[in-house]
Amino acid sequence: MVNSVIAGLTSGGGYALLGLCVVLTYRLVAVVNFALTAVGALGAFVMVSLTDRGVNALLALLAGVVFAAALSALLGAALVRWFAGHKEGTKAAVTVAIFVALTAVGVRLFGGNSTGAHRFPNPFGAPLFTVGDVVVPQSVPVSLAFALLITVAVGLLLTRTRIGLKLQALSERPGTAEVVGIPAPRLAVGVWAGVGAVTTMVVVLVAPRLGGDFSTLSGLISTALAVAMVGAFRSLPLTLAGGLILGCLEGLSSSLDAIQKYQGVVPFLVILVLLWWRSRREVWDTEHGR
Amino acid sequence: MEAPALALEGVAVDRAEVPVVHDVALEAARGEVTVVLGANGAGKTTLMDGIAGLAQVKSGTVRLAGTAVEKLAPYKRARAGLGYVEQARTTFRTLTVEQNLLVSQRGDGDLATVYRLFPELDKRRGLQAGHLSGGEQQMVVLGRALVSAPKVVLIDEMSLGLAPLVVRRLMTTVGELAGMGIAVVLIEQFANLALDVGTSAHVLRKGRIVFSGPCAELRGDERRLHRLYFGGAPSAGGPRSDGAEPGGATPPAAESEAR
Ligand SMILES: Nc1ncnc2c1ncn2[C@@H]1O[C@H](COP(=O)(O)OP(=O)(O)OP(=O)(O)O)[C@@H](O)[C@H]1O
Ligand SMILES: [Mg+2]
Repeated sequence: MVNSVIAGLTSGGGYALLGLCVVLTYRLVAVVNFALTAVGALGAFVMVSLTDRGVNALLALLAGVVFAAALSALLGAALVRWFAGHKEGTKAAVTVAIFVALTAVGVRLFGGNSTGAHRFPNPFGAPLFTVGDVVVPQSVPVSLAFALLITVAVGLLLTRTRIGLKLQALSERPGTAEVVGIPAPRLAVGVWAGVGAVTTMVVVLVAPRLGGDFSTLSGLISTALAVAMVGAFRSLPLTLAGGLILGCLEGLSSSLDAIQKYQGVVPFLVILVLLWWRSRREVWDTEHGR
Repeated sequence: MEAPALALEGVAVDRAEVPVVHDVALEAARGEVTVVLGANGAGKTTLMDGIAGLAQVKSGTVRLAGTAVEKLAPYKRARAGLGYVEQARTTFRTLTVEQNLLVSQRGDGDLATVYRLFPELDKRRGLQAGHLSGGEQQMVVLGRALVSAPKVVLIDEMSLGLAPLVVRRLMTTVGELAGMGIAVVLIEQFANLALDVGTSAHVLRKGRIVFSGPCAELRGDERRLHRLYFGGAPSAGGPRSDGAEPGGATPPAAESEAR
């Protein structure tokens, strides 16, 4: 059981990044992006389709990442162009529709649950070390390091570069940001592209553990949203923690035979618990807050 | 002849599908302060939002140095040389003073000029703008407009909620902006200070211009201003009709002296 929980950290690092992508898209361009993992899964499958044909894995990864970045940028541009003035709910609904459409296309092209499991390269599958009965696979530190690296890079980008400051300004006061000459549409498309690229890498990272069929990977959106909710769609550190927790919970549930079948329900349970918890606190706040 | 820095013709602006500003014509010249006055709800902010692109211009033209901009996105208007100091001190609160300036810096906009105009900001470069006093925040917003190297700066109710001493200080700065060759459009509800720094003035009532003329004509004439703000009997013997129609329901016979 401890083994499963530890192995779950591999996914946890990835989930943390998925949550990060959701939170960043929400904070920087004010869209709850349900299409995130569908786009990432398409990118990942572009990659495996190429490796299946004997293309070098790194080259294939690059192609997948570029493809997903471009697709994501296109979606972002469409939202900016046609839905700029609309409510958050409307934009979220649009991304849900895109999720459904992309998942349908992906399953059609790459097969569903039973037929479509592809072999994703798993370069970090070997054990790193073993303590007693506990095995720590290489993928755990790789995944955690990757999550940390991306988070730190995003943090530096946002606080240390002119573009990052403009993104922060845009996030805080979109109207005023435009008034001072910040090119909101261009920056938004950039955010979408970056998020698409990172998501593809994450999907490739977690695919070997999850079985590697399109609908499972595209369905990671429920995990991503649960993680983002742990961070309340704001806090990056809490989001990271949320990713690790979800990874471990998933590892745990996969090790217990009785509940293994319901593993997919974990993110929804987390979302429900968080909703309940937050609403409880709100009641508390309004009763005792002033 | 050189095109004026800002020229509006027949401008109508809606707010949430409701027509608020109708048929406005005005010009702002380089190096001058053009004052726009009017009571609460007259449509001053709506007009400025229309010029800057935050509200849609339904008809008419907005020209910046001769180029029509009314169809451009707000950030493109900013890049064409329009600075906008919005109502209510819109600093980026989580960014520091310096970062507020950096995100809007363009062309030969210079942070040093801002720090020279506002030494108190120089001392607080690294402080988050949200922690500044109201007056200092207004300085940040003015500075932010200045570092974008603008041709025109719209300033909306800069003085709201600030101590008289601070307001006087900021008014001096407005004069200095004009001295740098910028066309300043200054909105004020309380007229006298604005009329002191301004060259020409326009009064807006119920979304229409009811007076256009030199500031000197209105300076100190409280009764006339009151009439222009709220409507009323025609001014006795005034050379210009200034929105003589009671209630302002019909188009006023205002003439723009800028032409
Ligand atoms: N979002 C909105 N939806 C509908 N009407 C609005 C909206 N915003 C403003 N208005 C209306 O438009 C009119 C003009 O408002 P505006 O803010 O332009 O006036 P103002 O001259 O700037 O007033 P103040 O001196 O109080 O700032 C007002 O009657 C106001 O109620
Ligand atoms: Mg106003």
